[in-house]
Amino acid sequence: MTAGTARQTPASEAPGRSARAARPLRAGLRLARLHAASRRIPAALAAIAASAVGLRIALIGHWDTYGALQLPLVFETGAAAAITVTTASPMGEPERVTGRWLPYLRLAAALALTAAATAALAAAGTGAHLAGGTLDVLRNVAGITGIGLLCAAVLGGGLAWVGPAGYLLAGAYALYTQWHHPALTTPWLWPARPPHDLGGAACAALVFTLGVSAITLRGARDPAGEAA
Amino acid sequence: MTAASAPAVSRPAGRRPGLAAARLLRLELRHNAMLWMLPVVIVLFWLTTYRKAMAMPPLWNMRTASMQTGALIAFICPVVGAATWMGSRESRRRTVDLVAIAARPRWARQLATWAATTGWALLGYLGCVAVLYGVTAQQATWGGPLWWPVAVVAASLAAMSAAGFAAGTLFPSRFTAPLAAIAAFFVLALSTQPIHGSHSYWQISPIVTGPWDAGNRADVATFYPFLPDLAIAQVMFLTGLAVAVLGALALPAGPGGRWLRRPAAAIATAGLLAAGTAVALAGTGRMDAHGMIAIPALHDAASDRPLRYTPVCARTAIPVCLNPAYASYLPATAAGLRPVLNEIAGLPGAPARISQAAPIYTQGPGSSIGVGLAGPALSGVPPVYHLLLSGQLDGPALTTHELAAAMRADAGPSIVASVMHDSGGASPAQHAVLAALMMTAGLPPQGLSPGIMPIGNSASGTLPRGCQASGARCPTVRSSRAARAISELAPGAIPGSPAYAAARRFAALPASARHAWLVSHLAALQAGRITLAQLP
Repeated sequence: MTAGTARQTPASEAPGRSARAARPLRAGLRLARLHAASRRIPAALAAIAASAVGLRIALIGHWDTYGALQLPLVFETGAAAAITVTTASPMGEPERVTGRWLPYLRLAAALALTAAATAALAAAGTGAHLAGGTLDVLRNVAGITGIGLLCAAVLGGGLAWVGPAGYLLAGAYALYTQWHHPALTTPWLWPARPPHDLGGAACAALVFTLGVSAITLRGARDPAGEAA
Repeated sequence: MTAASAPAVSRPAGRRPGLAAARLLRLELRHNAMLWMLPVVIVLFWLTTYRKAMAMPPLWNMRTASMQTGALIAFICPVVGAATWMGSRESRRRTVDLVAIAARPRWARQLATWAATTGWALLGYLGCVAVLYGVTAQQATWGGPLWWPVAVVAASLAAMSAAGFAAGTLFPSRFTAPLAAIAAFFVLALSTQPIHGSHSYWQISPIVTGPWDAGNRADVATFYPFLPDLAIAQVMFLTGLAVAVLGALALPAGPGGRWLRRPAAAIATAGLLAAGTAVALAGTGRMDAHGMIAIPALHDAASDRPLRYTPVCARTAIPVCLNPAYASYLPATAAGLRPVLNEIAGLPGAPARISQAAPIYTQGPGSSIGVGLAGPALSGVPPVYHLLLSGQLDGPALTTHELAAAMRADAGPSIVASVMHDSGGASPAQHAVLAALMMTAGLPPQGLSPGIMPIGNSASGTLPRGCQASGARCPTVRSSRAARAISELAPGAIPGSPAYAAARRFAALPASARHAWLVSHLAALQAGRITLAQLP
């Protein structure tokens, strides 16, 4: 075949052109699906759904003030911990070297899961007395997820839950000190701040931004040979 | 010497199982996730427990109870999470098949991993306790450390670690560790929700240190010995739970065979029986008169005898004596009562001493708890006025200045009223004299100074939880009423009334003249034979 003949496009190849155009989209979707599967994102979504269902069931019960305030934080932390655990990679260095789209996939996964967790928990509180309301859910989930993502960048995806779990204790205690001296009022312990408090929201947003940035640019620090 | 002639070196490790177990434990200690959790745990302990304990008065019972609850909350997530993480290690590293052919049974390896995790947790915990107790020992004026609450937390850490480890072994997923850690916090923190009254099986929860509705009270285990009944039941429950869980780890089929599973099943059953018995015992607990949980089957009658102590007294016109544990309260208490005591010292029927008394606790309907004196406030020969310190009553924490003001406003009127025999049927002259003495003692005529909360009132301004259902028996009700204002103390002496004018006139007298008149006319005044016009 000469170059001249090659330039001629037969009519029968017209459908092939559209197939070639669709190929990047299909490949992108396949890449996203494989990334989601490798990070156990479906399991994380199930954990988030379980947290939302758990919150809904818990809200049916009759709790005292401590219980009513601390319950949402427990389930928000559960959802955030599930998100952070998805940062663990089973492939490690080879994926880092060859995965051109990896930062975008990590960013998309973190944002999508955070949005899903916020929506699920807010939906679980609809029609029930959810302390703090949707704004509280948004701030707490985003902030605690940010802590978890930062921990993933430092400790690895498998141990990233340490940050959210530790922060749960600090946040629950800060809520407790609203009635018991000495009170903790720093905005860095945002679960104890009112939902409309700008300081708490700013701290949570900053931590979330830092966490998402770290996980997008660096990914989780995962030791080689550790199955995730 | 050739390689062939070199003596073969054999390592009979199998003949020294103790040494091999120690080596295995050492390896596990070096490669344990709990070690890396210790900084997190120490920060959480400082935030949730140490700061709170240091804000409390230096009383062993208060700080120990606070430590038990706080340390559990601080340690639970890291310990459970780390144990779960370690339990799932073989699956996570895909070495299950590799280690399955090892000489040692899987159970022995698992126990070594669990022991290493628990050991690091206990080391961190005991270090935190040592710091807290060391600082408290330097600050406390009386008493000593309570060790049963320390044992409860230690047993809790072992049980939580076992539960987390079992979860990691059975469900080796990357989601197991965070979910187990958060679920453990959920269960522990909310395990007190079903507790109503002191008769509840849920008191077995290790964060319960006494009657749940009474809160952390200053006087518990100060006048009477600490009752370890509930702590013994909790340790029994937690130890049984840990043994049952660890025994159950050997039950799944695997290396070890039947010879291992049978004793493991027996161990697990024994652990379950111990835990079940402990729960049943906790359900028989009752709040005793001293504010602690007594379990009849575990109770030692010797604990019902009051503790011996030499009170610390202030040099006021009438000595004010407190339990030595409250020595730091003495200057403020004496300063608050001094003006009142100067007025009544030397009067017929005046108390010879103001003495701090042990409160009596009563369980009211539902969750309410009454706190009061065992007998009348003024009793004995020579008469002694029995005082409940503000730290013994419900209410917000007070600074030294607030405590002094509260004592002047609350206990002061009660002491004067007891000397005047002022009660509901008192004469206008009695009301007037009472009002006059309150004026001279600095009590504002129209109410308390801004910012001063009457003793016995909660921050919301309502009566304390324990008094709402048992008002008549609750001294805090009387205290808060007495503290309102002179117009409330002496209803007949409201501003503008003749009794109020007489009170102002009497208060304007020189102290010596007022005192001399009272010495000579107090009996007649108490009997109601003095009229307003007869007051100087």
